[in-house]
Amino acid sequence: MRQDWRIIGLFIGGVLVLGTIVGGPLLYSIKLSFYTAASFIDPPQWVGLGNYVKVLSEPLFWGSLLNGVTIAISAIVLQVVLGVTIALVLNRQFVGQTVVRALSIVPYFLPTVVACLITQWILDPNYGLLKSVFASFGYGMFDWGGNSTSAKATIVLVSVWIWTPFVVTCVLAGLQSIPAQLYEAARVDGAGVMKQFWHVTLPGLRSVLIVVILLRGIWMFNKFDVIWLLTKGGPLNETETLPTLAYRKAFLEFDLGGGAAVATISFLMLASIILIYLRVFPIDEAKQGR
Amino acid sequence: MLHSSSGSGREISDSTPSVSHGKTTRYYGKSLKQIAGRVGLYAAVALICIYSFFPIYWMILSSLRSPEKLFLDSSLVFWPPDLSSYKSLLQLTNYPANFVNSVMMAMATIAVATTLSSFIAYGATRLRFRGKTTLVASMLFAYMFPPLMLVIPMSALFRIAGLADSLWGLLIAHLAISLPLAVWLLWGFFKSMPFDLEEAAMVDGCSQFGAFIKVVLPLSAPGLITVGIFSFLLSWADYVFALILIMSDDRKTLPVGLASMLGAQDLRWGEILAGATLIALPLFVIFMFCYRYFVAGLTAGALKG
Repeated sequence: MRQDWRIIGLFIGGVLVLGTIVGGPLLYSIKLSFYTAASFIDPPQWVGLGNYVKVLSEPLFWGSLLNGVTIAISAIVLQVVLGVTIALVLNRQFVGQTVVRALSIVPYFLPTVVACLITQWILDPNYGLLKSVFASFGYGMFDWGGNSTSAKATIVLVSVWIWTPFVVTCVLAGLQSIPAQLYEAARVDGAGVMKQFWHVTLPGLRSVLIVVILLRGIWMFNKFDVIWLLTKGGPLNETETLPTLAYRKAFLEFDLGGGAAVATISFLMLASIILIYLRVFPIDEAKQGR
Repeated sequence: MLHSSSGSGREISDSTPSVSHGKTTRYYGKSLKQIAGRVGLYAAVALICIYSFFPIYWMILSSLRSPEKLFLDSSLVFWPPDLSSYKSLLQLTNYPANFVNSVMMAMATIAVATTLSSFIAYGATRLRFRGKTTLVASMLFAYMFPPLMLVIPMSALFRIAGLADSLWGLLIAHLAISLPLAVWLLWGFFKSMPFDLEEAAMVDGCSQFGAFIKVVLPLSAPGLITVGIFSFLLSWADYVFALILIMSDDRKTLPVGLASMLGAQDLRWGEILAGATLIALPLFVIFMFCYRYFVAGLTAGALKG
């Protein structure tokens, strides 16, 4: 095929724009992490690894890392368990299947802000729905943002509500690829529903689940908006994670270098975990090319 | 010999009353079990519907209550609807200005992201050069970066470039998050499209560029729509970038403008919920008409996270 210079030109132009607006900031972020600037106006000063040493020696950094990992892992486990369960139900034949499937994806497409505002409204300590429900049973409303466990649990549950539909959609697609003969063979061999699930369904979903867990893990670990909108990292930094810490440093303490260092470290950690994960659970080429 | 003996054996067992009786009870039991299964299935389906939609219903319902009833009424009926929350939202807050900003951002992101990504993805499938795989893989890599690693340097760079507190800067940020996704989606789409069609057009005297415009793009409409929808979602729902890059109230987009009402001294829940409903409304409308593109995009790796 003859190559057309216009196609080449547009392609190169597009790649340059993309490279500039994505690659540029990323490289600048790494550069920033080696500098310190007292304000946005002063010329930044080279401090080498100073920001990294400072960040890594803070207990808050390690606390935030632990919080982030706790929140991410609990959210992923719940998302996968709930997502597979819902997908198995929606995979059955019933009246109104299409409508229910569509309805079940809606939370995923809702802007995070909307989901968080609904949560805040339902959990409002004075006027919320949960308060009226508790009151009808004679209990008072608890202060969900006031202690570590309930604040973390709220973040996890809201994340699960928003992002489980992604798992459901992927698992539903994965279920289509399991041949019906396998189930018939299992039934002939006398396998019950549970055995069929363990020996046919789950192995059939393996490659889908590997990808889903990887992607959800990346996104949960990098999550900023849900946490910021619900708790702002509180109470007393109990729900602070690396993204909120980076934000706090860069934009509330005006330490751009420190914020950039936190973001860079969290990226390096994530990248190394992903590499290990992909070594343990290789994604087969066929699935990736889909 | 064997055949006849097995045949007669079946005949005997069939004629035995006890066995046929056993068969009927088993059949009866199975149908009872089936009925129970159906009931359980529909109960589970109902539970899924409530779980997925009740919070959204509760938001819409609360936004349609009159201010006096909002804090007292917890019934599940919103009739007659009261639009006073919507009225004061549109009259007393920055919401209309924020709405215009959000619409402009979303339109610009859709237009630029779809155009640029089609150039890049088409080149990446049809041009011959080294490092193609690396280029496409780097799109997926771009998903992995923490948003803060993009937005911290952007805020500093935009300050230098005079784009601080500017919607142009925010557009660049929205393109930076939507382009990698758009290229990845369209790359998959163009790759699966047969080259024969363009070659036929080119044999007929069309240039490669002409074939791209007149043959490839029209045939890729479903892919382009999917990319448009996901660019829209990313821009419309973005909170992080708008929070950091925009300072003045009249330049804020909807998510940040609305969230800032939450921090205000007097919590105006009616207005906040009306605003949240209005943010979600365009999504519901698009979702109803383009459901299959949403699902197609999701399974092809269109992530919004």
